[in-house]
Amino acid sequence: MDQTFTIEDEEIDGVPVVSASGEIDVATAPPLRDRLQALAASGKATVVVNLLGVTFLDSTALGVLVGALKRCREAGGDLPLVIEEPRILKVFEITGLTGVFPIFESVREAVGSVK
Amino acid sequence: MVDRRTGAVSVDLSIPVQADLVVLARLAAATVASRAGFGVEDIEDLRLAVEELCLSLVGAREDGRLHLTYECEGDAITVRCGYETADGEDGSRGADADDLSLRILDALVDEHGHELRDRRPSAWLRKHRSDAAV
Repeated sequence: MDQTFTIEDEEIDGVPVVSASGEIDVATAPPLRDRLQALAASGKATVVVNLLGVTFLDSTALGVLVGALKRCREAGGDLPLVIEEPRILKVFEITGLTGVFPIFESVREAVGSVK
Repeated sequence: MVDRRTGAVSVDLSIPVQADLVVLARLAAATVASRAGFGVEDIEDLRLAVEELCLSLVGAREDGRLHLTYECEGDAITVRCGYETADGEDGSRGADADDLSLRILDALVDEHGHELRDRRPSAWLRKHRSDAAV
């Protein structure tokens, strides 16, 4: 069980991509929220959030992502997510959020959708 | 504690309400469920459900203690969680628990609820092994 949580930033074809890995829970969600808020404050209306390395995700993490999505859309952008792991996708499905977020299976697809 | 006659297992855990310690609640759930023969999918469901059970009680508060009891009997595990606030006040969210937490609990466990036990805000869940005979 990988409990190491990391966040990495990069820009692909001009699109900011935040990649999280490990477990996103009540303890680790705040740094993700801070990172997404900082990008919004710097004028980035669209941010791709790569969750391919995430092994656990709770409602606190969902709350952070929903808040970020709202900020992005208010700024005229979007918050595409990259999810491949069925267990992580299941959390979005049972909370009805698969119809709210644009979800892709690869970073390349997610970046391509907003270019 | 193990009841040698029935094979029932009961584990108690008491943790301070701190964001980085809630992981212990779900680790204990995974360990107890694994020992009781739950499969990987059930255990993963249970880990998330126990996390949400705790969050549904404490919300964003970081004071007091959570008292958890894990009981395995037959093909089911029951987890009870009581919240003892530092100031003795009922600071729990209880019935006002986050809608996302409740939706997750609805989907992942067979039964769950909130109640007052010994005047302490509490929540519980019960999950049967998905491979158990119906």
